[in-house]
This record gives sequence, structure tokens and C-alpha cells, in this order.
Amino acid sequence: MSVLSVRNLRVRYSAKGPEILKGIDFDVESDDFLAMIGPSGAGKSTLIRCVNRLVEPTDGQITLLGQDVRTLSARELRGLRRNVGMIFQEFNLINRMSVMDNVLSGRLGYTGNIRSLFRHFPKEDVHRALDYLDRVGLSDHVNKRADELSGGQRQRVGIARALMQQPKLLLLDEPTSALDPKISREVMALIMSIAKELGVPALCNIHDVQLAKEFCNRIIGLQDGYKKFDGDTKTLRDSDLEDIYAMEVL
Amino acid sequence: MAVSDTHIASLSVQTELRRKRQFKMLLFWGVFLAFAAWCVQGTIIEDTDWSRIGGRSGVWASIGRYIQIDWGLLPELLVPTIETFMMASVGTVLGCFFSLPVAWLGAANVTPSKTILYPVGRFLMVLSRSVHEIVWALIFVSAVGLGALPGILAIAMRSVGFISKITAEAIENIDAKPVEAIRATGGNEFQVMYYGILPQIYPVVLATVIFEWDINIRRSAVMGLVGAGGLGLLFFRQMNSFNYGGVTMVILAILLLIVLGEVISHYLRKAVI
Repeated sequence: MSVLSVRNLRVRYSAKGPEILKGIDFDVESDDFLAMIGPSGAGKSTLIRCVNRLVEPTDGQITLLGQDVRTLSARELRGLRRNVGMIFQEFNLINRMSVMDNVLSGRLGYTGNIRSLFRHFPKEDVHRALDYLDRVGLSDHVNKRADELSGGQRQRVGIARALMQQPKLLLLDEPTSALDPKISREVMALIMSIAKELGVPALCNIHDVQLAKEFCNRIIGLQDGYKKFDGDTKTLRDSDLEDIYAMEVL
Repeated sequence: MAVSDTHIASLSVQTELRRKRQFKMLLFWGVFLAFAAWCVQGTIIEDTDWSRIGGRSGVWASIGRYIQIDWGLLPELLVPTIETFMMASVGTVLGCFFSLPVAWLGAANVTPSKTILYPVGRFLMVLSRSVHEIVWALIFVSAVGLGALPGILAIAMRSVGFISKITAEAIENIDAKPVEAIRATGGNEFQVMYYGILPQIYPVVLATVIFEWDINIRRSAVMGLVGAGGLGLLFFRQMNSFNYGGVTMVILAILLLIVLGEVISHYLRKAVI
């Protein structure tokens, strides 16, 4: 069974506004590292945010880990969200907090209000946070403030935070586009190796086709709210790319 | 020829423009001076009881009475000074607590209901500021009696307006990205506010609170005029017993306290920012 399956997904931000996604269907299998490519404005970010309902879909069906995402209550939705780790284009860290607290904030879905008020996380969470910080290579920066780090380091904090959730699916929203080419490759390699290690599937928005081809086993091409391509990375031909990016050339 | 013709034409246009501008300036100053003269006529010339002022020497003598400082009052000053300081501090802290829910209601991006509660929050901000602290004190003196408590309540109520307004504005200006991240981890509304919003606004809020505390020392110094304790009460008693030297002594104590507050808030603000 697929980890995530999306059927006929449609999104409009306002009743009279344009339709951003126009009936998207796809599945994510448990061993997928799936890239979503397409020009700016194609709807990639909107699509990825529908999966954990940071954006409310207007129509269609999303089944994630066996649950119908669109019918969940607020409490059930929070329960679902903590199973989905998310990594963001601009890291979305809390700048005034330490690296450690940022990583621990990945556990908030599992933490009560009183504990979160005093930032008093259980010991095993702290140990796990230290392990993950070690894994992403930030052992020396545990107590620094998040805004003291470089871009690549900040994204590593974002990765550690997502891992803290013990996710069953990773959503990556342009995880490398705020980084330079060398760091981008390092960060992608790190995310992929961790995903493989933990056996977590990933859905990754990315506009850098080269990176997508290099790291992802499957590719979905999005253009102007329509799905233009869906298949193995090996089957992606230059003509497909031209098709996907046709709008941008014009 | 053509060149000099256009040159002359542009010169005359310029002269015309300058003349218009000068006329406007003249008109403005004329209206302004007439208005000022009208105000002076109404408030000073007609409204003053010139016969009661007496001669020039009378004025000087009245002022001179204040200069003979009553140092004997010194031991009586300590307790009211401390009381004034405490009134300002406790009032500010209490005001902070009242400000949080008001800011929450009155910040457009986090308010629980934009149609009903947002205007309520905004109204509370305006209400707090549009009522003078002395009026707040009068209300609370009649409600809870004489002493420092009505003063504390008055200062708290008066502080809410400014603190909550600045806080609400800070909330409206936050970066939405960390908020989204906390929401994506499965955090509830409290956690989203505490982790996503609070770290972004607290430097602004803290600086505002320190500023408000500084102002509140001034405010609490006059609270006693309406029976709400502190230095103001002592001031009021000296005035009533025509002890002008004592009045000066109290004013000196107020001045000292305010300078102290200024110094402390300067260093506190430095520590925050």
C-alpha cells in the first residue's frame, strides 16, 4: 500500500482566485525518494503543503498513512502532522533560540503544554537530539543561536528537527535552493542517506533538474497546476523536460 | 534667437512660480499669527485675574517661598519614595499581564475572531490610553479606597494601551515561516505562539515594557494627588498646609527617583538589545 496517495487534488486560495492545482493524482511508495519538478508558480509548494494541510485543498482526496487527511479533526490533524517531517526552503528556524531548542521543537507534537512552557523535554528526546545533531555534523554548535550559523548549517538544523519527529514521510520544500551548488549537493546527499537509513520515503520539491536526476528515483513534472510527467528518473527524456518547462521559455 | 526666446520664456515662468510660492508662504504665516493672537487674547489676556497677581515683587516673593527648602521633611520622604517606586513597578508588571490577552485579540493575524474580538481588542487599547491616569486613579480610589492599591491598578490600566498596541503590531510583523514550521511538527496553538511567535516579539515587548516602567514612575509620583498613595500624597499634604519648602523637597525626591528610573531603564534596555 502507498504511504501517500493523492487523487484529483484541486486548490484555490480564494473563491474567485485562479485554480492553483487542477486535479493532481500521484502516489508515494514506501521506498520512494520522489522529486517534484516544474517552473516557478507551477504549484509545487502548494501541493506539498496540502499533504499535511498547511494549505486546505478545495477538492480531491489525500490518503496519508491510511488516514483520509481532509476529514481529520484539528486534534487528529496534529497527530498526523507529527508523523510528517518537513524541511523548508528558508529553513524556518526560530532564530533567537539555540540550535538545541530548535531541534527539540521537532518534538512539540509529542510534548505537553507545561513541559513546552519550560522547554523541559524528556531526557531521551535530548539524547536523541544530540545524536541527530552529531549525524548532521553540528556537534560543535549545539548551544549557538540558530542565526549565528551559515545557510548550510541552518538547513542541517532543519533536517535534525524533522528527524526528531520520527517521521514516516519527509516533505522537502526546495531544501537546497537557498544554498550554493556545492552545499546543495552535500545537503541533498545527507537527506537521502538519512532517508534510506531510516527507511522513510520523501517527497521533494526541487527546481534544479540536475539534482533531481542525481538523487531521486522517481520524478513528477508539474506545470501550471497540471501533472505533465510521472515516472522513473531513467525514463525522463529531454523532450519531457522541454514540455514541463515550456511555459518558462515563453 | 530661438534659444534666448525660450530662455526668457522659462525665466518668466520661473518668476511667476516664485511669486505664487511667496504668496502662499505669506498667507500661511498671516493665518498662523492671527490664530496665535486669538488664542493669546482668549486664554491669557481675558482669562487672567491681573489684579490678584500684584506687583513684580509679589510674584518673586511667591516663588521665593519655594526656595527655602524644608530639609526637615527628609526622614518622612523615604517610605513614600519607595512606595512610589513599587507602585510603578507592580503596576507595570500587572499592566503586562493585562496587555497579553488584549494584544492577542487586537493583532489581526492571530485574533480568534476578526469580526468581533479584533475590534474589542482595538477598543480596549484606545480606552486605556484615552483615559488619563489621574482619572483611572479616581475611579479606583472610589472602588477600592485610599492607598497604593488604586494607584497600582490605575497604572496597570493606563499601561495596557501602549504595551498591547506595540505588542500587537510586533505580532502582526512577525515572520510567518517559523510559525509554519512549528505547525508542521504537530504543535498546538499554544506551542505555535510560544515557540513561533514569542521569540520573535520579545525584544520589542521587553524594550516597550522598560520604557513604560520609566513613564510609570512619573505617573505614580502624582497618584497621591487623588489619594492613591506615594510621594503625591505627601506633596498634596505639604501644599495644603502651605509648607512651600516641603513641596520643593517632595519635588526634589520625585526628580531623584525619575533620574534613578532613567538610569536603570537605560542599562536595562542596553541589556535587552
